[in-house]
Order: sequence, then structure tokens, then C-alpha cells
Amino acid sequence: MASTTAARREKACAKLLQAVDAIIAREGITPSALHLMKGKLIGLARKTDLFSVADFALPEAHGRNYPLLVSTADGPSLYLVVAQPGKEAAAHDHGIWCISAAVSGQELHRCFRRTDAGRDPNQIALTQIGAVVVAPGTGLAMADHDIHATAVIGDQPAFLLALYGYPLSRFPSVTWYHPEFRSMRASLSQRHAA
Amino acid sequence: MSRAAKTYKVHIQNKSLDIACSAGQSLLQAAVLAGVDFPYTCASGNCGACVSLLDSGKINMLPYGDRALSTEQRKAGKILACRARPRSDVTVTWLGRGRR
Repeated sequence: MASTTAARREKACAKLLQAVDAIIAREGITPSALHLMKGKLIGLARKTDLFSVADFALPEAHGRNYPLLVSTADGPSLYLVVAQPGKEAAAHDHGIWCISAAVSGQELHRCFRRTDAGRDPNQIALTQIGAVVVAPGTGLAMADHDIHATAVIGDQPAFLLALYGYPLSRFPSVTWYHPEFRSMRASLSQRHAA
Repeated sequence: MSRAAKTYKVHIQNKSLDIACSAGQSLLQAAVLAGVDFPYTCASGNCGACVSLLDSGKINMLPYGDRALSTEQRKAGKILACRARPRSDVTVTWLGRGRR
């Protein structure tokens, strides 16, 4: 039974990435394309039996990423994020587009824009421009440099599908914004692997 | 009547420096706001740049990701300064793989 679920999951993930590739080939990376891909990802997230705790254990601490279907080159790659309530990420942009959709649980995304002059990394200021709760049946698409902060809310673990423009192992630098310190910090780029 | 959060002494071994940290603050917040160049990147329990050794004292850890700090590291007395709130006076040494 488990192998049947794994095979169904593999097939469903491959079908999603085929659809994503077709959208990108037709439209490129545009707001419209991201919206279409978000709809596909929400559809996959509705297949809850493919992404259960029986196959994806809860994290030892509070958050873990499972690769589902990862490109061997610079292609879109799909992960399952499993996180406990309270797990959070400060404001950041990935430097690459990403889409999130919930299988179960809820994740709050607060969206920001920079309101400093953009010239001094020690004078960072952000203004919140919106908030979205990603819950089953919903998702969120972000362009390369959209800034968001996340927090798993509620009392249940969140199982979230995450679709990125690149594999995590080939990510560009992720930029983290810390207005309370008036600073920004960048993680090391993984592009040397590309 | 509001009660001020209890404040503890944090000794940072790398700088031989004592700073004050309230019970509601992370060690990293207290250090950075005190002007200490403590290594960090995400400051939210995801990257591990602020991994430190808890030499002495007690802390509470806020939620963090498995990749940032493993169970083995935690058992070995390592913490994430961005997730650690003091429950007593503490002494820490940063081990960071920060940007420096």
C-alpha cells in the first residue's frame, strides 16, 4: 500500500512539474504564469493522502523540508515543508520565484516592501503591505524579490507544498531583512553549483 | 500593574563582555542591540549562522528548523542565539558560520 502511495505521489508530482514547464514555456515567468502555477499547486495539495505524516515524519525540532521532485539543472523543484506551530522565518526574499500551497495546517505570510532608500544595508526599513494565511485550498505566489515573513499558526503542524524556480541546492542568495537591527544579511549563494 | 520582564546577565566569551538580556529577548537581539557584532543571517531559526555553545546557564529555545541545529548539536550543548531566551544568567560562545 505504501509503495502504491509513493508511486501515485511520484506520478502526481511529475504531472505538476510537466504542467509548470508548459506554463513557463508558453508565458515565461509572469504574474499570470505564477497565478496559473499556484492553481496547479493548490490542486496537488488537495491530494492530502499523498502527503501524510505516515510518509513524512514530523521534524525532530520544528521544521523540515522534504524534496519531492528536484530538477537536476535550473528547473522548478518541488518540496514538502513540515513545520510545527510557532515555526517562523523573518522577512526575506528568495531571489527566485516561489509558490506555497497548504496540504494541512496554516501558515501566515506577512508581505512587505522596502521603504528605505535602498542604498545602505544598515538602514533597512520595511512596511507591511499585506498578509495572507495559506491554508488548505489556498496558496501564495511570490516573484523573485517579493519580501515575506512566515509563521505557522494554529495548533496543528503545517504540511505545505513549496515550488521554487530552482532547487534549494542551486539557490541564489536569500536576503534576510531585520528592521529591528536596521540590517540586512544575505545567505551564501549556491549558484556556483549551477 | 505591569511587571517588567526579568533581566539576566549574558557573558559573551568571544568578546569577554557582559550584556543585559531580558527574559523576553533572544540572546542575539540583546547582543546586536548592545552593539556586539554577533554572527547571524536569518535571525529566526532557519540558517544556523548564530549557532553557539551554551557554556553555562539555562535558556528556553523558540521553534527552529532541523537544518539549523541538529538533535546531536543540541545534546552537545549548542544553541541558536536567535532562538534562545535566558532563564538565568548565561555564558555563551558563538561558533557561527555567519557571513564573516
